[in-house]
Amino acid sequence: MIEFQHVFKSYASGTPILEDVSFQVSAGEFLFVAGPSGAGKSTLLKLIAGLEPASRGVIQVNGQRLDRLTSRARPYLRRAVGVILQDTHLLDDRNAIQNVMLPLSVTGQPNEIARSRARAALQKVGLSGKETALPVTLSGGEQQRLAIARAIVNRPALLIADEPTANLDKDTAKRVMDVFKDFNHVGVTTLVATHDEDLMAQYADRVFVIEPGRFRDFPVAQSS
Amino acid sequence: MKHWLQHQRYALQVTMRRLVGAPFSFLTNVTVISLALILPLLGASVLVSVQPVAQHVSADPSVTIFMTAEASLDSTQALADRIVSAQDPMILAVDVVAKDQAMSELQTNDAWRQALEALDSNPLPHAITVTLAADDAVARTAELFAKQWRTIDDVQFVQLDSLWVQRLEALLKLARIGLTLVTLIIALVVLAAVFNTVRMQALSQRDEIAVARLVGATEAFVRRPFLYQGGLTCGIAAAIAIGLTQLTLSPLNEAIGGLSKTYGTLFTLHLPTTPMLVLYLLAVVLLGSFSARWSVTRHTRF
Repeated sequence: MIEFQHVFKSYASGTPILEDVSFQVSAGEFLFVAGPSGAGKSTLLKLIAGLEPASRGVIQVNGQRLDRLTSRARPYLRRAVGVILQDTHLLDDRNAIQNVMLPLSVTGQPNEIARSRARAALQKVGLSGKETALPVTLSGGEQQRLAIARAIVNRPALLIADEPTANLDKDTAKRVMDVFKDFNHVGVTTLVATHDEDLMAQYADRVFVIEPGRFRDFPVAQSS
Repeated sequence: MKHWLQHQRYALQVTMRRLVGAPFSFLTNVTVISLALILPLLGASVLVSVQPVAQHVSADPSVTIFMTAEASLDSTQALADRIVSAQDPMILAVDVVAKDQAMSELQTNDAWRQALEALDSNPLPHAITVTLAADDAVARTAELFAKQWRTIDDVQFVQLDSLWVQRLEALLKLARIGLTLVTLIIALVVLAAVFNTVRMQALSQRDEIAVARLVGATEAFVRRPFLYQGGLTCGIAAAIAIGLTQLTLSPLNEAIGGLSKTYGTLFTLHLPTTPMLVLYLLAVVLLGSFSARWSVTRHTRF
């Protein structure tokens, strides 16, 4: 599903973020990306989602080499990848169901089908009855789950979440993680960036640890 | 096809939401653009109204062939017959004016009568008046005929009566060039107005565009609502401009009608034909969409 071959990433300032990172992730795996703030967790996820290019090396996602992907083909890859960023990026002028319907509108789904699938996605993340609520009226946990509903409504093969539980209390964080685990159980490859060790211990199959200048790949027994 | 239609529907919904969300900005734009669009429409109305009148007046451009004093009426008639037999489509009529007839006509003019009474004999030559068909090249055609007829033995002098036609043609040509320039300037104004509006919209919709891209929107999907916005704004503005021009022509026509009646004719200004107006509307819509596309492509590179 995902393959990194000697990937390097540095920003315009020249500061290296990732150095010589190589790994493979098979379809259906559940992984955590751990590490201190600023170590490059978000960068790694953005590279996988094709939101940023690698400085060097080869990245393959869903059988496609990202560096060879044309700008026309890139959106189609993104449709296969559900992304939940640290900032939920919800559209404040649209209600919950309209936010969730956006990925379906992008693919040209008829309104009735889009609405029905969006409603089902909201139900999956426990937001039934909140269809008409504007994002600003929802709590932090609800907003996070709304972002998850938007990410999963297109039935992606890969789900990427950057610190989805960062601002949530323990109970809400657990509910959000349960949602991810449910999707993983139906075959969705899931990568979650976090620095919450309790969550990792509870849910992880495998953990990538990113530290400045270092990348380590742990099976769950070693990480816990 | 179904997906394509769905995309158009979605883009139209987004466009309407944006326009309704910022009604003041939308109305201001429509007002500015429609006022600008009135100018070329008014110019075109004047041109399409004047042109047939000018053509009607210039339907009688003529060339007069004056024969030598020795030329007889028979030889004049023979030359007239030769001109007729050439069957040139540019020649509408050929009339022989005998010198006695010309003298009688002159004598009906009070200013000439006294002077003519002082003459012993009729000094006028026989003449032929050739009426030409009015078209854009009438002046040039008249020149060619004159050159040809001057070489005939019995012909003393050929007078082109088309100087005024040349002037009218030059004026109309000038008006057409002026209108083209005004139209180009207005097109630039519309281009700039839509470009700037879409730029502002694109900047204010940054988050929405970023989210749409995040969930797999193509660039066409991102741009489409802006294209509709540009096209719709300009289309509405053009329709209003047509209505306002019609309203403007009404009081003008009252004044012009009064003036033209004193000349024994009825002249009014009117809008160009319906197909021309539809073409005008479509051109403005295309201009708006083009400007919007240019702007959104430039301002959504993030």
